[in-house]
Amino acid sequence: MKYSYLSIILAGAIFASCKPTIEAPVPDKGNADFTTYVAVGNSLTAGYADGSLYRSGQENSYPAMLAAQFKMVGGGDFKQPLLPGEAGWPGLRRVLGYSKGCDGVTGLGPILYNAQIDTAGSIINIASQGPFNNVGVPGIRCIDYTTAGYAYGALVLGGVGYAYRFYPSPLTDRPIDVATKLNPTFFSMWLGSNDVLGYATNGGEGNGAGGTLPTDISPLSAFQSVYQSVVGAMVSKGAKGVLINIPDVTAIPFFTTVPAKGLALTSDAQVAALNTAYAPLGINFTLGANYFIIQDAAAPGGLRQIKSGEYILLTIPQDSIKCKGWGSSKPIPRKYVLDATEVANVQTATAAFNAVIKTAADANGLAYVDANTYLRTLQTGIKYNGVTYSPTFVSGGAFSLDGVHLTPRGYALIANQIISAINSKYAARISSVDVNKYDGVLFP
Amino acid sequence: MKKVSLFTGAALSLSSLAFAGSFQLNLQGMRQTAMGGSGVAWPWDASTIFYNPGGLTRLEGIQAYANIYAVSPKIKFVENGTGTTAETINKTSTPFALYVGGPIKAESKWGIGLGIYTPFGSSANWGDNWTGRYVSQSIALQSVFVQPTLSYKISEAISVGAGFVYGFGSVEITKAIPVQDANGKDGQATLEGNANGVGFNVGVQIKANENMQLGISYRSGVNMKVNKGNAKFDVAAAAASNFPDTRFDTELPLPSILTIGAGFKVNEHLTIQGDVVLAGWEVYDSLKFDFEANTPALQDTREPRIYQNTFALRVGGHYKFNEHFAAMIGGAFDPTPSKKNYLSPDAVDANRYSLSGGITVNPIERLSIMAVFNYTTTAGRAVSYEPANLAGTYQIKSFVPAFGIAYTF
Repeated sequence: MKYSYLSIILAGAIFASCKPTIEAPVPDKGNADFTTYVAVGNSLTAGYADGSLYRSGQENSYPAMLAAQFKMVGGGDFKQPLLPGEAGWPGLRRVLGYSKGCDGVTGLGPILYNAQIDTAGSIINIASQGPFNNVGVPGIRCIDYTTAGYAYGALVLGGVGYAYRFYPSPLTDRPIDVATKLNPTFFSMWLGSNDVLGYATNGGEGNGAGGTLPTDISPLSAFQSVYQSVVGAMVSKGAKGVLINIPDVTAIPFFTTVPAKGLALTSDAQVAALNTAYAPLGINFTLGANYFIIQDAAAPGGLRQIKSGEYILLTIPQDSIKCKGWGSSKPIPRKYVLDATEVANVQTATAAFNAVIKTAADANGLAYVDANTYLRTLQTGIKYNGVTYSPTFVSGGAFSLDGVHLTPRGYALIANQIISAINSKYAARISSVDVNKYDGVLFP
Repeated sequence: MKKVSLFTGAALSLSSLAFAGSFQLNLQGMRQTAMGGSGVAWPWDASTIFYNPGGLTRLEGIQAYANIYAVSPKIKFVENGTGTTAETINKTSTPFALYVGGPIKAESKWGIGLGIYTPFGSSANWGDNWTGRYVSQSIALQSVFVQPTLSYKISEAISVGAGFVYGFGSVEITKAIPVQDANGKDGQATLEGNANGVGFNVGVQIKANENMQLGISYRSGVNMKVNKGNAKFDVAAAAASNFPDTRFDTELPLPSILTIGAGFKVNEHLTIQGDVVLAGWEVYDSLKFDFEANTPALQDTREPRIYQNTFALRVGGHYKFNEHFAAMIGGAFDPTPSKKNYLSPDAVDANRYSLSGGITVNPIERLSIMAVFNYTTTAGRAVSYEPANLAGTYQIKSFVPAFGIAYTF
């Protein structure tokens, strides 16, 4: 019966080889050292989303995602100045929900999270729990990084105290000091957005040629000098790192959601009334979609129709458009509009700041992520494992409900761009992040 | 912020109704399975109704034949970049075959028969939460073909046969919809429907001499149509009106199969045989879904498949120890019809190598009891499904045991 003996052995061997044997490649740190990772940046780095900062947003910040991947190649613990709760701090975050407009129509859109602010007391200084690896501070600009006592100053200026909360010596610390405290072996730096964003989100009412108020565009010379000092300080002890450039903010939903040609006229009477009223200015309306009327001091009568390529801000009160004649019988106030000159100021500054960032990356041999170009590819849709992400507000999936900051999935897409830049610069093989593991926009 | 426009970005892409290259089952006869799936030349038993209807007149009498297989392929996926792995959840399906047929009486030139078998089937359940869930969560495809068959012996050397094929079956697909509810739970689409189609199976069987037989068979393509299947959507309430429950139509063109083969009786114990199989997969160019109700989020879809025709090779040997006992062994190479940039997780495929074997026992003269196995493996195949940008490496392993019984009247 040697045949049956043989067949038993054969059958056994076959059963044993019934499981697929493919495995993922083993991650590798290449020639970088991820033992101590520090993330430098602003609100995007802090994990800000939906118009506020809250715990799960922080836990899903892109630096936290990166740190988890670094851990597989020798990275250490990653400490963040976490808030205690989910409601948002200092203000409530936004969630998708139903609200009734002045016209009595109930619609789906961002509303304030229905909860008590559970983060009372969040301003208590928690520096003793630090030092922290994530030193991202919402609102901070590049040019703030060498300001002594920045945290205190921001608080005095009516700011929120994000930095005040975790800086060891808020009265004297420069942000650059806090960033270098841990002597990082690796750092990421996504800094500079607020050096243009504050100007843009205030409708370009500040100084577009260079000023130091939060509503100004930062002066290029100051930006350049501070940016270089921060990078210099970070690499001074041999740290390697990655620099991420600034997205062109005019491509984000905060500016692109309310359409310029959004004045919908549905009756001949409306058209006739507006045509009569605006006849002296030579402005003509037709049935259907029309360009909104905006304030413009330089135009005859101080108003004109908005043009394509100019933007209306997401913060414009919707009810004023629906029920108070904003954009038709009354011009939309300047602070809700980014006109062509202001758009040009934003884009010029963004390009100049990005040139500084690229130069700094090259000069210091650091990895570089062109987040600006990447986020522009969102316009045509970025596909990831069956989901298409776009910059469309709410349904696009990548931007959170404030139209500026990202959803966890949006942050994960950025994290993967950063990992890819690190891998190619440092000959590493760090696994990318599973984007679909995180949340996008949640629907009621 | 119009309500309607909110969901266009989440438009359902039904990338993947999953009838794939892999869904052709080459499991319709026990001896043939044991010999690498070959069998167009040699009419071993009533299963020749499937393998070559022309061989039916060669049987010694009317035979009743039944077999059943236990199929539970294991598929593993390693995603590019993340290195995330996923494996299909095991579920055993049981393709079967029933045949009754043979010469209508001793020495007759006519043979008749009926075959009921499962030529295509597929099932893969990746679970609800893996990274590719928006492309596929699960797929279950079943088909049963019924084939009444007539065979005629033109001469001692040449016998021909033909059968009409009526196919019916069912499909059930689930996939996640990228609209998350307040708790972060994905939406889900469930598509269920019954399909049917018709075709034919013809063959010529040639007894060249005592020791050599030849065969050629052609099984036509069968266009399996789903009419008014049920499409159900479970999504967050705010999105529900964008995903109304509705009906859908689709169709799956099953390929034509042309087989040419030969068998040689080497000596009184050993017979060897081999087939070359041309599968006309080219018909499977795309998969379309036509929904009765459309919304901005729920559009009709057309997903590229772009299959290519394939040539498969199958060989095997049969060793008869004595009147009561025989053993078989065989192997096959099945190239995949799928392109590596259009491979969806609901239709995983790669070039397949299989090894098979089995035994037959004849405890009494007219009764055969058969036990066989088929082991199929693929190398890791690095592919992507471009319409969804899902890329990674897949590997399939499958061990199929089967059992059959035949009785000649």
